[in-house]
Amino acid sequence: MPNRQAEFANVAPQTAANNGLVNCAVCHQLASIEVRHCKRCGSALSSRIKNSIQISLSLLITSVLLYIPANIYPIMRTELLGDETKSTIIGGVILFLKHESYFIAAVIFIASVIVPMAKMFAIGWLCYSALSTKKIQYYELTKLYRLTEFIGKWSMVDVFVVAILVALIQLGGLMSIHIGFAATAFAGVVILTMISAHQFDTRILWDKVESE
Amino acid sequence: MTKAHQHACLECDLLITMPRTISHRTNVHCPRCNHKIAIGHNNAKQYVLAMSVTALILMFIACTFSFISFSSNGQARTINLLQTSTELYSQEYYFVSFLVLSFIVLLPTLYLLSVCLIILNTYQRSHIFPSAKLGRLMSYILPWSMAEVFLIGVLVALIKVVDMADVSLAPSFWAYVIFAPLFTHIASIVDNHRLWSWIDNAK
Repeated sequence: MPNRQAEFANVAPQTAANNGLVNCAVCHQLASIEVRHCKRCGSALSSRIKNSIQISLSLLITSVLLYIPANIYPIMRTELLGDETKSTIIGGVILFLKHESYFIAAVIFIASVIVPMAKMFAIGWLCYSALSTKKIQYYELTKLYRLTEFIGKWSMVDVFVVAILVALIQLGGLMSIHIGFAATAFAGVVILTMISAHQFDTRILWDKVESE
Repeated sequence: MTKAHQHACLECDLLITMPRTISHRTNVHCPRCNHKIAIGHNNAKQYVLAMSVTALILMFIACTFSFISFSSNGQARTINLLQTSTELYSQEYYFVSFLVLSFIVLLPTLYLLSVCLIILNTYQRSHIFPSAKLGRLMSYILPWSMAEVFLIGVLVALIKVVDMADVSLAPSFWAYVIFAPLFTHIASIVDNHRLWSWIDNAK
């Protein structure tokens, strides 16, 4: 919607914050700004998430660091008639490409490489925009944020695939699959980036409309 | 000071006067940032209650029957849904095991139970659990319910093993196949606006 911002450009936006109100993050009930706890649901009220960008960035950095062991260590070990092969996330993708199963290779590659990386870049970019003093594209950035929140949980696919394979393929010495350390690290990455995205407060972006 | 029908957009803080009635299956969006605020449904309470009970029954089936069986070179193995987590537990990956169990079984079940109890609280006077606490709980657990993600995971895993061995799908699998989209559907109808109006009605 290209005219969305033009529509609001000349009007001073009526927000909860500049009307002396605070929105409850849990039950979405408005309260006066002096109120500390929501009357309806009892959760603590604050006009904006406190230290939102700092918390987001620190969780983001942690998840970037965790992403390194997630890629270096094997995500699963396959024992086939006594032979043991360890496979990393990328190794798994390459194996599927060699077997010409392009569809699974694409699913695994998108879920465990592209999505987490895109998520990290998106959160980084959102934090940068929130801190920058230049004019920002509110609407596009909010859309980016929504996309980040939406794709968040989809990177768990890889961990679930491993969990099912480990449960299913336990035929003793014939063939068995064991989980590797990368799964823990990768699950950590997914959770931390999800919390990081959740801690980012898009209202900080929209507050800049008023300061222009 | 605050009017009941006034609402602040969660994503851009714009004050919005909510329409009194929202027609069936239409969305209310924030005029500034396009954030979806509410969805209209004529018969939401009965509909959601019925769907949630259905989903809970499906989850019960998914947890009790066998999930997938797998056989290769004369050796066969049948697993149930919970074994995806317990097998990881026995390999001492407690963290991942806990996550898998919570994301695919515990949290979706808890969400559905909460929504059922909140709706039942609007009908009766005596409350077993306070609605407001359940509402808070629901808003915390919704982002962590990953039934549909698990379903995709199962499909990918099946494509992986289907060449290696004979795989047969058991009742629990089909129950989960219906459960996952149903859960997403319920969660999309129970928007915050509606949920908290139910909770207000329960008092």
